[in-house]
Order: sequence, then C-alpha cells, then structure tokens
Amino acid sequence: MIRRRDQIRLSLQKIGLRKKRAVFSIISVALGIIVVVTVNSLMRGVRDLVIRTGYTEEIDQDLIRVSADQRYDDSPSRKRKQFLTDELLAKFREWKEIEAVAPNISVHPLNVDALAESPRASSGGYVTGAPEALIRRYADAKQLAASGNAVPLVIGERFVKLRYNEKTKKFDLEDPARVQAWIGREVTLRVGDPMAQLERFHYDYEKKQWLRLSEEETAQRRKSIESYESNEFDKLIHARTLTLKARVVGLCPGRRLLIPEEPARLCAKWLKQRDALARLRPVEPEADYGQYGRRAPREGEYAMAVVLLKSGTNPEPVVKRLRDMGFEATTRQNAFESFLKEVDAAMKIVKRIAYAFGGVLLLLACGLLWSTTSRIVSDSRADIGLFRALGATKSDVRRLFLSETVLLGELGTLTGILLGWTAAYWISQLVIHLASGDISDPEEMLMVPRTIFAVDWLSCAMLLFGAAGVSLLAGLWPANRAANVDPVKALKRE
Amino acid sequence: MIKLHNVSVTYRLKSESVEALRSANLDLAEGSFVAIMGPSGSGKTTLIQVIAGLLTPTAGDVIVNGQNLRQLDDRAISEFRNRTIGFVFQFFNLPSYYTALDNVALPLVFAGVSETERRDRARALLDEFGLGDRAIHKPEQLSGGEAQRVAIARALVNSPKIILADEPTGNLDRDTGARLMELLQKINRERGVTILLVTHDEKAAAFAQQTLRIEKGAFV
Repeated sequence: MIRRRDQIRLSLQKIGLRKKRAVFSIISVALGIIVVVTVNSLMRGVRDLVIRTGYTEEIDQDLIRVSADQRYDDSPSRKRKQFLTDELLAKFREWKEIEAVAPNISVHPLNVDALAESPRASSGGYVTGAPEALIRRYADAKQLAASGNAVPLVIGERFVKLRYNEKTKKFDLEDPARVQAWIGREVTLRVGDPMAQLERFHYDYEKKQWLRLSEEETAQRRKSIESYESNEFDKLIHARTLTLKARVVGLCPGRRLLIPEEPARLCAKWLKQRDALARLRPVEPEADYGQYGRRAPREGEYAMAVVLLKSGTNPEPVVKRLRDMGFEATTRQNAFESFLKEVDAAMKIVKRIAYAFGGVLLLLACGLLWSTTSRIVSDSRADIGLFRALGATKSDVRRLFLSETVLLGELGTLTGILLGWTAAYWISQLVIHLASGDISDPEEMLMVPRTIFAVDWLSCAMLLFGAAGVSLLAGLWPANRAANVDPVKALKRE
Repeated sequence: MIKLHNVSVTYRLKSESVEALRSANLDLAEGSFVAIMGPSGSGKTTLIQVIAGLLTPTAGDVIVNGQNLRQLDDRAISEFRNRTIGFVFQFFNLPSYYTALDNVALPLVFAGVSETERRDRARALLDEFGLGDRAIHKPEQLSGGEAQRVAIARALVNSPKIILADEPTGNLDRDTGARLMELLQKINRERGVTILLVTHDEKAAAFAQQTLRIEKGAFV
C-alpha cells in the first residue's frame, strides 16, 4: 500500500505536469476564499476594536448607573414615577454587595487652567462627583493622603495623552512618563467660569492642521462668550467664580474629571445659587411639570446616581433588584453587551452576504475541480494501467486522484487565505487613512486603531477543513472512475 | 510455479463472442525460461494478463506461486503483482515525467518501501545494468535499448519470482534486441527468476529454454 507521503509527492508531481490547469483551479478556489477571509478578517477586526475600545474607554468596572424612570409622560397629571432620594441612596448603601453610592452631580462649567494644552482646546468643561471609593480605586494612595486641603482630582487620560506639536501643527501622543507626571500636580479649578469653553486651538480644514489661536483671536472669542449675557448685571454675576485648589491624585480612562461627592455637592450648590441670583428668581418651583409633564428634581432628589459594587461582585442581581424598584440600571457590562449584540447583528448580515457570494464562487470552483480531475483521469489512463500492473490497488489509485483534488483545493484555500489577509490588511489601512484624514478632533485620533484587521484562526481552520471536504466531494466521482479503469484496456491503449 | 487448468477467456465484441484462450493448460517450473510464440491475435498477451491477475479468466484456474488468483481480492492480487511479478512491455511504459531512477523505483512506492531504500535499490540495479550515469535522465533522453534495460531493472527491483515480458524486443533493432535477450537469459540463470517471454521473433525465442506455440487461444 502506498505511503501517505509518497501519495502526496506523486500527486504534487502530477499537479506540476499540468501547471496551467492547476493554477486555474487554485485561482478559482482562491477567489471565493478571498471574499470570505477578507470580510471575516475585517469583521473580526472591527469586533476586536469594539471590545478593546469598549473596555478601555467605557465606564468603570463594578459601576452601575442608576437613573429614575425616564419614560415619556405626556400628561401633567401623571407625575414622574420617582426620583432617587437621599433616603433611597442611604438604603442602597446598606446592601451587602454595594461598596458606595453617590448621586450623579455634574458641576458645569468648570475651568482647569492646567489643561490649556488639552487637544479639545477648551480646558475642562465639567467635573463629576464620584463616590470616594471610586476615587480611591484610581488614586495613588500617597497623593491622596498628601492632598490636604486641596480637592483630590482624577483626570481622564484623554485630557493628557496628547500634546500640541508646534512644528507639525498636530497633536502627538504624549510620552507616557509625562502623562504619569500629572499625578501629584497642583491645579486650580474655577467653578462657574464661562471661559471654560474658550478654545485655544482652531482646526484648519484646508491645511489639515491645528493652529494655536493668536492673542487677538483669543480676546475676540472671550468677548464673544461674554456677550452671551444679555445684561450687565448677569455679566457681573457670571464673572464671579469659585476658585478651588486641587491636586491630581490619579488618572482614569476616558475624558472625565472626577472629584469626591462632597466638594462636588458644594460646588453644585454654589453654582445653583449664583445662577438663581443672576436670574433673580427662586431656585426651583415646587411643581413645575413643564411641557412634557416632567418636573426638575427638588432638594435631596436626583435623576441619576452611581452605585459602586464591591470588587468581584456579580452586578446582575443588584441590577435586577434596582430594576424591580422601577429604576433603569445599566452596568458597563450589560450596556456594552447590548451594544456588542447590535454590532454582531450588523456583522451577521454582512457576513451572510459575503458567505453567500463566496459560496457561489466556491461552488463554481468545485465544478472546476471536478472537471479538472476528470480531465486528469482521462489523460492518465496509461499511467493508471501501469500503476495497477506494478501493484497499485484500486484504493491506491483512488487515493492518488483524491489527494490531487484535495491538494488543489487546499492550495487554493491557502492562497485565498493569504490573499484575503493581504486584502483585508490593505483595506483596513485604507479605511484608517481615509477616516483619520477627516478627523478634526485630535482626541478622536486616540480612538483610531492602527488596524482593523484581525486573523480569525478558527474560521481559517474551518475553511481548510471545509475545502478538504468540498474537494473530496468534487474529486470522488473522477477518482472512483480512475480506480475502476480496466488496466488491460489502459495498457492496450499505450 | 505457474499452473493453468483449462483456462478460457471469452470477450464479447458487440454481439459476437471471441475466445482469446480456449481451455489452455500450462505448467511451468520455477526458474524456467519459456518463450510463447504465435501469430498476432493468438492469445499470447491475454495469457500474460491472466497469469499477472490483470484479467480474470471466464473459466479455469490460474495458480501462480501456490496462489489461486481467482480467490484473491483486489488488495491481495495487487500485492501479488507487486511482489511476485515483474513486467517488461514492448513500448517500455516508462512515464516520461519520471527519471530513470524514479521509474525503476516505482513498484517499491506501491510496496510501501521508504524513499531511501527505494533509491538505494533502484540505483544498485541501474549500476548493475550499466545505467548508473543515466539515473537522472528522463525516458526521452534514453536510447531504445537503455529504456528497455531501465524497464527490466524496474521489473526486477522488487525481487519478483516471475518476469512477464511482452514482446520486449519488438521495438528494438536486432543487435540491441539480442543484447537484451542475453540480459534476460543472465537474469534467469543467475537469479533463478522464471521468465515467460511472449514474442513472434524466432531469434528472441531462441534464448529461452523451451518454446511453446499458441494458435487461436490454444497451445499446439
């Protein structure tokens, strides 16, 4: 019985004898594979990117965002179901799975002088009050202890990951050491400063460059912001800011500024009173349902809160409990998973189209393989007769021709996989190049991946197995025909 | 070594049946060198095909080397051909895409012999037949005599007990044919291989120890 190694060697030799036909068969198989592999590699790359960015840029671990029921309520007589209250938050704190709870307090506007080089040009925007436990997770313990009277501040990495390059007029990735150097830095927070929205850079779409604004341009923009206030009194009131000394105690993912809940609460209160003073009207009407039957939260009521779970706790039971109480609760996990599900559903459609197209091409290739093997069998009758005379069994002959077809199929698949990877890589580079060319926000550059190409090993292995199976099917009939060639007649022909 | 008992082979050619062998009986001893002579269509080649197990007779038994070929399945009969029979054809039957060395080693491929051993055994035979320097040549680069010697080396590479030679000199000139017959005679004498030679060339048949004549499918 012929050895497997010799079987492959003989088959390769026979393929080599019909180079043109073999190349044609290989290309025909490769075409369908290219389509499938290209789409698969890109889809896999996109999925990996979604997972990567979703996990690194999204909200914190073990954190549940709780919001009061936001259902549309079109009748002034129907009140919003319930707000989160201090009492409810205190109740949540007693749950054994929960480490900390804090209302979602956003202090806006906020100006952080030290972020003047921030790529978003404006220095800050708003700061969020976070449970101290969350601050501790990101903070350097020594820095936190050393903060003293200064407000501990956690800065989102996206504020400090880019640096303006005067030569190229672009934002470059900051040296990691310099990013880390932010920890321990003293900064000034100016709460209520409308100049927080003052931009320092301007993107020139024609030159595709970021230009630092001149002093005159800055002054002009400053004037424009001041002109938002309709009268001198408001202007005077809004010029009052609350200045706080803060110390950067840690860095967190994303673009956020976090301070502990208590100072945030004080800042918010201060802002509310200042704005009320500017408008010369009460802080909040008791029952203002407005156009959509909604009212603003009163003192001690909150539309949103954050719940920090103890490390390693399964969030699902807590989420369910909160939902049962009528609140909307989302975790990083389930928000991300529902997004991923949508991505997967979209990819499924694209993949199905590609697979159908690739399948049709492979079916055609299968027909071509069948015809190639049939032709080879017809051309090889004399050899078959000789092989049988020299001791080849029917099974040897069948295996010789089958391995020839399978080799052609596998060579086509391998070629297709390699070309598919190449195509996917270049398409990914092209997409990135085109997409990044239109990005005017340098922060978005941080989100641009180096590639959206990824190797899907499992599907490649499946393709190789599948190709072997399809080639076997394509070669079975001609190989059986070869095995049943009458050696006497075949030798007579010669 | 080779026994045929009332062997008949009948072909159906359209509506007509043709008897290629008619109750043929034969008994050849081990180590004999027998020539079968007869006109074209007398059944010489059919006889060889029956002895090699390539053709199953319509009637009768073929016993070669103690094995009744009728009782063997495809695997067993292929193994029998591979180990017991060596073929020499009129037109050499050397695949043009193999070198002389690969051609000689071909039966060993079907015997499952390792590549190193195949090459060693094939090279030794080529050297013995004075074709050592032609080992890497393709058949079209060889003369008729050289090609037929390569074919004989191929027939011998698996140390068979029987060589079936079908008109081996039919495609060679007289001198080359004579030298080839001397080689077959030498193989028969020195290796004790039974040789059954089918020919219509009297001079070639003269090299055999015994000559049998066949006409219309029967020995006369």
